Amino acid sequence: MASTVIGAGITIEGEVTSDEDVVVQGTVRGKLVAKDAVSVEQGGAVEADIAGGPVAVAGTVTGNITSSDRVDLQNGAKVIGNVKATRITIADGAQFKGNVDMDV
Amino acid sequence: MANSTVIGRASFIRGRVSGDGDLEIAGRVEGDVAVTGEVVVDTSGLVAANVSAARIVVRGAVKGDLVADQVLLVEAGARVVGDLRAPRIAIAPGGLVRGHVQTGAAGPARPRAAVAPARAVATETKARPVVAPPVVRAVKAAPPPPPAKVVATKTNPKPAAPARPGPPPPVVPVLKKGTKAVQKKRG
Repeated sequence: MASTVIGAGITIEGEVTSDEDVVVQGTVRGKLVAKDAVSVEQGGAVEADIAGGPVAVAGTVTGNITSSDRVDLQNGAKVIGNVKATRITIADGAQFKGNVDMDV
Repeated sequence: MANSTVIGRASFIRGRVSGDGDLEIAGRVEGDVAVTGEVVVDTSGLVAANVSAARIVVRGAVKGDLVADQVLLVEAGARVVGDLRAPRIAIAPGGLVRGHVQTGAAGPARPRAAVAPARAVATETKARPVVAPPVVRAVKAAPPPPPAKVVATKTNPKPAAPARPGPPPPVVPVLKKGTKAVQKKRG
């Protein structure tokens, strides 16, 4: 049960802060901070830095991703920015341009 | 469901929310909300923003103007501080509203200052013994000019100041004192 959903067709310009899961199907510009899981679904676009728990990307992200847990770039994902997390997976078919920092 | 957006209880958005689709707010939103579908502010929802949508349902707290293209429902337990405008507005018993309420076709974003005097004139010409508020507003609107005049008269003596070799112009209070002193001496 995702608690916060930004639906397709909706654009948020500003700062999104959440203590729960965030699912992005629409567009977020600005900043995205979540204590829990962040999921950028197919068709979703984030032009912002993301900080959160586990981050899953199947859409587009332009900005840095910082996770306290793991980052999964799924098939179809397009990410431009640096990724910092303890565990990172990049699926076949994901586009990625940026640095990876696995802070071991 | 595809286009539906939910701002969860523990979420906070600062900025502008816009686009197509429905929006359910159970968390906090500060900024502007403009969507084409329905906006529902849940009991736990806290909105400090102007909201415009086709349909608006309020069960939580809103501080800002609500403009709906179709219907605006303020349900029991809702708290609204701001103006309401929609073709159809319903305020349920237990709903709290503080602001201007206007039903009818949605016009341009409330030109309040322009509207109030116009309405006062209208009521006067029709000689209707109706509600006082418009008149009160007109009276309220009147006072502002006098202060401006006062300021003008105060600022007028300024030219006299340069005659003294006193401090430079930016320090207004000193200038005022100085000009008063000059006036007293002259008087």
